[in-house]
Amino acid sequence: MPATDKTNHRKGQPVTDTTNPIRGIEWAGEDHRVAVVEAQGDIDLRRSSRFQEELLALPDEHPREIVLDLSNVPYMDSSGVASLVKLLARLRRDKVPLKLTGLRPRVRSVFEITRLDTIFDIRATVKEALES
Amino acid sequence: MNEQKRQASVLQLIGRKFLNGLSSFGGTVILLGSTIRWSWRALWQRRKRKGHSALATQIVRFGVRSLGIVCLVQAFLGIILALQMAPALSPWGQQDKIANIIGVAGFRMLGPIFTAVVLSGFAGASIAAELGSMVVAEEIEALEAHALNPIRFLVVPRVVATFAMLLALTVIADLMISLGGYLTSLVVLGPRVSAMYWQRMQDQLRLRDFVSGLVMAGVFGLLISLIACHQGLRVRGGAEGVGRATTNTVVYSIVGIIAAACVFTAIFYVFGF
Amino acid sequence: MASGQEHPVVRVMNLSKSFEDKSVLRDVSLEILPAETMVIMGGSGCGKSTLLRHMIGSLYPDSGHVELLGQNINDLAEEQLNELRLKFGILFQSGALFNSMTVGENVALPLREHTDLDEQTIQIMVKIKLEQVGLRESIDVMPAELSGGMKKRAGLARAIALDPEIMFYDEPSAGLDPVTTAEIDQLITDLAKKLGVTTVVVTHEMASAFRIADRMAILDQGHLVKVAPKAEFEALRSSAATGDQAMDTIRQFLRGESQGPLTARRSSTGYEDDILSVV
Repeated sequence: MPATDKTNHRKGQPVTDTTNPIRGIEWAGEDHRVAVVEAQGDIDLRRSSRFQEELLALPDEHPREIVLDLSNVPYMDSSGVASLVKLLARLRRDKVPLKLTGLRPRVRSVFEITRLDTIFDIRATVKEALES
Repeated sequence: MNEQKRQASVLQLIGRKFLNGLSSFGGTVILLGSTIRWSWRALWQRRKRKGHSALATQIVRFGVRSLGIVCLVQAFLGIILALQMAPALSPWGQQDKIANIIGVAGFRMLGPIFTAVVLSGFAGASIAAELGSMVVAEEIEALEAHALNPIRFLVVPRVVATFAMLLALTVIADLMISLGGYLTSLVVLGPRVSAMYWQRMQDQLRLRDFVSGLVMAGVFGLLISLIACHQGLRVRGGAEGVGRATTNTVVYSIVGIIAAACVFTAIFYVFGF
Repeated sequence: MASGQEHPVVRVMNLSKSFEDKSVLRDVSLEILPAETMVIMGGSGCGKSTLLRHMIGSLYPDSGHVELLGQNINDLAEEQLNELRLKFGILFQSGALFNSMTVGENVALPLREHTDLDEQTIQIMVKIKLEQVGLRESIDVMPAELSGGMKKRAGLARAIALDPEIMFYDEPSAGLDPVTTAEIDQLITDLAKKLGVTTVVVTHEMASAFRIADRMAILDQGHLVKVAPKAEFEALRSSAATGDQAMDTIRQFLRGESQGPLTARRSSTGYEDDILSVV
């Protein structure tokens, strides 16, 4: 029951979210080498490590480009953002572009306040990211 | 009227001093309890890395800085003992027995006590001043606000470091006091005494002499560091408070060291150790 | 009336506190709602810092209690309180940096002690936090080499290291020049408005208070005399004296005037009797 979850969260009891922060990966593009990664749930201190682990496994599959869809991420804290910075640093070395899409306003303001919105390639939708 | 007032204020002062001393004593005992609890917990903790580096820093800081002074003081003590005992022993032609005296007095008593006194000036005073300034700068409150227990974070490494340092320094002190006595016998008392010196010392000393000295050193180490931490952490009111904590630490430590030495000697005597 | 969703984040209930017979807080009750910025004001020694220290659990009340995120912090065991402490940050008056560590190590400390993040991620987060407060270049500097304003900004970076839900600020602009004050105020507002951090500020700087507050509370001699939205205080400040003792007291404080009920209180303490009793 999501309502109960929320109250618990507010009361400070840690609600351990055991779902994978990565819901799934689809391979798009003509050559099927564009990884469209869909994240889900809050990416905070409790889930960042798992989030990072999953993301950093991606370069091993030699994608041509990675599109990370954050439209199902209601909240991300700076540890989540730091995980993305780490991924970006790896991908830059291999010259693989990373695009973020579907940022909700709350997540977007985290990027703005940490002034990382200028460093990441942020697009409105997955479609737009794939077409560019 | 005025005379009465003055008498009352003297009484008040004595009363306040007494209560103050009592609360210092109680506070230090409570601190000992929490320190043991947190050390125990630290032993079983999964993340140890941080604590270790903090501990190493502390040990190096106090140990290396006080090493020279400890050596110097102990060598002097050896010389003094030899020079004072020699005339008393000479009527019976037993000057060679100074090695026995220096052995017992040095290993059991003078080594640990004087090392502890030196360390209460070095480590004790600097711990109290450091923690006191941290209180003044709101650093202790900041630690608590970040859910970091000051006892675990600040007191435990300092207590463990002082304890370990005092044990190590006492071993060195034992060596230096014996060496001081030997040099005196070599230079002043003549070859008959100095040739027998190490043999006599070996005959006299038992393992328990050495161990009882180390037990006392360990107790002194806890005493100095706990008094210093307690005085430092209870600083109130700026730089003046820090100065008072430093002075109190040295005074209370020295009194504590001598009192503890007396108690332990009595216990060792009763149990024939 | 607040809806069911608007459960107060900080709730102070009938709090009283005395230090050695001197009453510092008298029956103070205050509620702070999610994502709002509450500024607590008052002259020196009015008890506002004491109130803040009760809210963060470093002082224990004589009576009454404090609830944070729905939990009564005066009932919590130390471990539970520590868990709760990870959810709020505090900027101390002096910045309260650990002087034995560099600025970067100060910011990294909560992350190293309380999270399982790897060192690379921690380093990235430290840089992000320091950039936020404009101190990225000072990452390897020791606190002793920083100016007062920089110390506060570094302290703020450390306070937000774990992305707190609540931020407490103790006199954020004390001892700073007007431009640095405005900068700190901007940082406070950014965190509050962009990230929705519930914010409690204790200050006596009027300009800064009116810049950042959603609501304000005025504390006088341990009593909470008025809690209201900022607009009400702005109106009060610009209106003429009415003769109402309580309102005039607040007005004098808001305007920072030397004449009024606040100062009258000080001069009516039996000066005549006192000076004549010497002979």
